[in-house]
Amino acid sequence: MTVLDVRGVSRRFGGLQALSGVTFSVAKGEIVGLIGPNGAGKTTLFSTLVGLIRPDSGTVTLDGKPLKGLKPHRVAALGMTKTFQNVALFAESSVLDNVLTAGLLHHGVDAARSEALNCLDRVGLRAVAHKQAGDLSFPERARVELARALCTAPKVLLLDEVMAALNHAEMQEIMQLIRSLRQDGVTLLIVEHHMRAIMNVCDRILVLNFGRLLADGTPEQVAHDPQVIEAYLGRSLEKRR
Amino acid sequence: MKRCLPLALLILAAALLPLLLDPRGYWIRVLTFTLLFAAMAQAWNIVGGLANQTSLGHAAFFGIGAYTSTILLLKFGISPWLGMLAGGALGGVAALVIAIPTMRLQGHYFALATLAFGEVMRVIANVWTSLTGGPGGLSVPFVPPSFAGYSFKLLRPHAYIALAALIVVTAIFEMIRRGAMGYRLRAIRENAPAAEVIGIDTTKVKLQAAVISGVLVAMLGTLYAQIAVFFDPDTVFGIASISIRIALIAIIGGVGTAAGPILGAFFIIPLEESMNALLSSRAAGLSQLVFGIVLIAVILWRPRGFITVIDAVRARLSRAVKP
Repeated sequence: MTVLDVRGVSRRFGGLQALSGVTFSVAKGEIVGLIGPNGAGKTTLFSTLVGLIRPDSGTVTLDGKPLKGLKPHRVAALGMTKTFQNVALFAESSVLDNVLTAGLLHHGVDAARSEALNCLDRVGLRAVAHKQAGDLSFPERARVELARALCTAPKVLLLDEVMAALNHAEMQEIMQLIRSLRQDGVTLLIVEHHMRAIMNVCDRILVLNFGRLLADGTPEQVAHDPQVIEAYLGRSLEKRR
Repeated sequence: MKRCLPLALLILAAALLPLLLDPRGYWIRVLTFTLLFAAMAQAWNIVGGLANQTSLGHAAFFGIGAYTSTILLLKFGISPWLGMLAGGALGGVAALVIAIPTMRLQGHYFALATLAFGEVMRVIANVWTSLTGGPGGLSVPFVPPSFAGYSFKLLRPHAYIALAALIVVTAIFEMIRRGAMGYRLRAIRENAPAAEVIGIDTTKVKLQAAVISGVLVAMLGTLYAQIAVFFDPDTVFGIASISIRIALIAIIGGVGTAAGPILGAFFIIPLEESMNALLSSRAAGLSQLVFGIVLIAVILWRPRGFITVIDAVRARLSRAVKP
């Protein structure tokens, strides 16, 4: 069953065609990786999906509902949210308050607080719940972002490089979490530069290059696609594997 | 319960204070205005503190409240209590009208746009002579003293009404700060795009805050009119006398906290008054000069407001208790 359907999404910024005719769909419960060289349009695509950027043309449909013209808060209410690549926390608020605020989408303050504590448990940050968010290390802040996104109870969750700067053990934990989210029926789209992680956790991989979808297939297929290898992965992937 | 005790004592002290002052004297007047300005700064604090949008145009709502109740009383004999509700409604509409175009502005640009709006209201009040009496101002007509008519022989009842207003506005501020709206406003303040993406209707929340603040300040404008008995466009729509003073009180006291505007008002208004009383006979402008120097010194000493003094004392006390 398709939960997210993207048809011919294009977006131009001045002279730069950031996205051109991007078309794909994601089934419920899938874990889909989105890769591509820097500047390929991955973050722009995520921002377009949640309504932060309006596409020049094309449609995005979430669970059968067209998202045309909807603001991000409406998209979040319909069940899709994202984390920010550069980490966009409420830095002067506590970790708990950051996550609690997201819980207010579906709950009152008290219920949102207990929901937020659950989400912090899932990312392993309950111990720092009362620290100021801005005081955490970068990898911790990325996990707060993840907890905050989780607290909106999303059907589709877009993760923009949440594993950046994580050590091996931390990365294993996040991958575990991603798999357990799938068990809960959450559909995930993941932008990640760490190839081994993404090949490992994703059912399917989309490759974006210069705003165009270059490939769409299983990690195996994508890794052996000559176009992908030429345009982006080169021989380095073979070496790393 | 432990936290309620100091609060109860504070309210009790505030309730006793008007009884200690000469009911015909000068200082009860200062106290009344101090309470009124504390309430205004507290209402400003909803927008200026929680949403961190430094409005320099709140005189617009204040003046609307003062003029609405006074005009209704003059022309139709309507009680200022009802006039206060009408003024609050108009103040809310005005807040909505100004908030829609200025909402996307931040920092200096927001401040300047709101400043201009306050000035527009002052010009309108000066020009629309048939309604407002123009630059000559309006006198609140005498009605026989009664609570229903909001008319009293002495200032003491006015002081209590201003105190009640301060308590109500502070309670509203605290409810907003602790409730869902407070979380949403802080999220918008710290990162608006992230707030949207996690489901906050940033436009709606900002408008709600602006309207609540505008309604409250307009209602306080009626209190001012009833106390002052006479006012003109330059006093109620004034940049320095109202707009900047409200913001200054909250900033000096500590923005975004319930105690901040109260501390700020109890510092600024009595200071200003005593400077005037002590120095205005010496040399023209001397009192303002000294007042300005004191303000600069305070800002340099406590850039985040008087509230930080209390925080520091509290921290020292708790360290002393737990060795």
